[in-house]
Amino acid sequence: MKYAPLLLLVTVAVLIALPWLVSGSMLNAAVQMLIAALFAMAFGLLCGQAGMLSFGHAAYFGVGAFAAVHAMNAFGGEGLLPTPLLPLVGGATGLVSGLLAGYFSTKRTGVYFAMITLALAELLHALAPHLKTVFGGEAGVSSFRMPAWGIGFGSLNDVYFLTLVWTLLCIGLLYLFSKTPLGRLALGLRENAHRLRFLGYNTHALGTLIFAVSAMFAGIAGALQSMNIEAANYVVLESHISTAVVLNSFIGGVRVFLGPAIGGAVMTFFGHVTSDLTRVWLLYQGIIFVLVMMFLPRGLVGELVERIRNPSGEGFARTLSTLLARLASLAIAAFGAVFLIEFLQRVLSPEYRAGVTDGNWPDIALFSYDWAPLSVLPWAFGLGLFGIGIALVTMVNRRVAARKEAQA
Amino acid sequence: MSDPILSLQHVHKSFGEAHIIRDANLDVIPGERHAVIGPNGAGKSTLFHLCSGQFAPSEGKILLNGKNIAGLKPAEVNRRGLARSFQITNIFPGVTVFENLRLAVMRKHNLQFVFWRSAARLRVVNEEVDDLLTKIRLTDRAQTLASQLSYSEQRSLEIGMTLASDPQVILLDEPMAGMSHEETDYTAGLIREITEGRTLLIVEHDMSVVFSLAHRISVLVYGEIIATGTPEEIRGNARVKEAYLGEEAA
Repeated sequence: MKYAPLLLLVTVAVLIALPWLVSGSMLNAAVQMLIAALFAMAFGLLCGQAGMLSFGHAAYFGVGAFAAVHAMNAFGGEGLLPTPLLPLVGGATGLVSGLLAGYFSTKRTGVYFAMITLALAELLHALAPHLKTVFGGEAGVSSFRMPAWGIGFGSLNDVYFLTLVWTLLCIGLLYLFSKTPLGRLALGLRENAHRLRFLGYNTHALGTLIFAVSAMFAGIAGALQSMNIEAANYVVLESHISTAVVLNSFIGGVRVFLGPAIGGAVMTFFGHVTSDLTRVWLLYQGIIFVLVMMFLPRGLVGELVERIRNPSGEGFARTLSTLLARLASLAIAAFGAVFLIEFLQRVLSPEYRAGVTDGNWPDIALFSYDWAPLSVLPWAFGLGLFGIGIALVTMVNRRVAARKEAQA
Repeated sequence: MSDPILSLQHVHKSFGEAHIIRDANLDVIPGERHAVIGPNGAGKSTLFHLCSGQFAPSEGKILLNGKNIAGLKPAEVNRRGLARSFQITNIFPGVTVFENLRLAVMRKHNLQFVFWRSAARLRVVNEEVDDLLTKIRLTDRAQTLASQLSYSEQRSLEIGMTLASDPQVILLDEPMAGMSHEETDYTAGLIREITEGRTLLIVEHDMSVVFSLAHRISVLVYGEIIATGTPEEIRGNARVKEAYLGEEAA
């Protein structure tokens, strides 16, 4: 991994130059990607490093978001808490609520731990609409970013850089944290808490502390979110936020350091792009998660790291050509699958069904062609492409296996 | 005879109706290697669990350096100078050998809730880890994942972790279980080396190991210690022969 520092430098440079490289809509997506990346990293500390699977991390993201909005209103972006420092409020709130929730939830492990985190988050979510002064009811709480330190914070560029600086700073801190004695003990907690206890460590206190640190960074991510949209609504406490961070982190690879961040960013980008193109983008997200878990259980980054550490022994060119062959075959299969799903979704949509009269099924436009739903053609086209793609990838896999056998 | 470093006085442990340990009395002298033997189900592991704090005795006293440790939590017992290994290999499988030992060593230096220092720069800790690696002969394997070690290497690592807190008393629970002859000889040598200047209490089934390693042996049968003495005394003890050694001693 000798290229890692160089890669990191290039990534940061690209991130800094991004406002001049992409459109406003894409930059807006980039802000959300950064927030999702930081949130996933906070989750990754708890789940990937300390082995505690939280199903309720929306709670800490949410309290951070609300704390920042209230602080924005209270201080007006001046005095003790100028706008750029507002995420600190989110972090502090996350830390305190994390200490409380962590104290109770880390008394148990595994499934029971997950259930307690879920229950606590749902409790907060159920309570929120009734606490109108804190959570603002249906309308939520809104605010305005005020200028501070000579920066306007009105433009998207300013918001982007604010988010970028905080995200990079926090990820850096999380990296350093993983190198400290407490960070190392998180691994011990994951690997064998029983042994840690016998070595004389206070595993409950360790778990609580790591939970709180994770909640703190989740709170900072939440604060960045509410600063971005200048509002917070109790929707941020919903369980799908908790679920999304779990899925994103696992897709990226929860056990490798930057895995959750990449997962969060990639899936947010995916959502941004596909939610404009198709109504069933959540289905695609689900399919991607299932496929990653089945075939790349270490996650995207985890698998990449593993490949770099333990190369296949076939040389760079061979590995690359195999990879490209696999990707090309998968792209064909994916196109077939997407075609089928989209076609089916259109056929089943209420709008289309309303247009069907007396057995007359109008043509459906998809990928700039009109397809007759009762004809065999569109179905054969989709299924055929899917089949060809799968057949091709199977062929590639067989060849690789045969080569391995010949070597052995 | 000097004062015992570890002393069990009228210790009794029952789980509901089952009386596992009945009125056990045992004195372990500083510096000796003391073995506990007995048939399966005699309560040897329970005895260890009582000494190391995993269970609290139903009755009786357990004195470590003259202070009662009965009912203390494992962590507290550990801090008072008694460390144990486990019958089932109990390590951190998904991290390196070095990391395993570092986690064990950090405790001794009270590095628990420390998040402002880099673990890589804890000079004393890392030196001690290197030292332990040498002692348990795993220096070459420092960067290997613990899960990828061979069985006897994992047992060595387990012993190394037990040593990390620099304990006065070490409890080893069947360290040779499941080992080949070569591995057993190797581990016996290792135990001899590392217990130099410490007190060892060991449970082991391999009688050749027990009789060559231990200065004194206690025999536990149905929760009672029926005899304590040197290997010769134990070999010659009629009750022991009858209860346990039987054919082997003949």
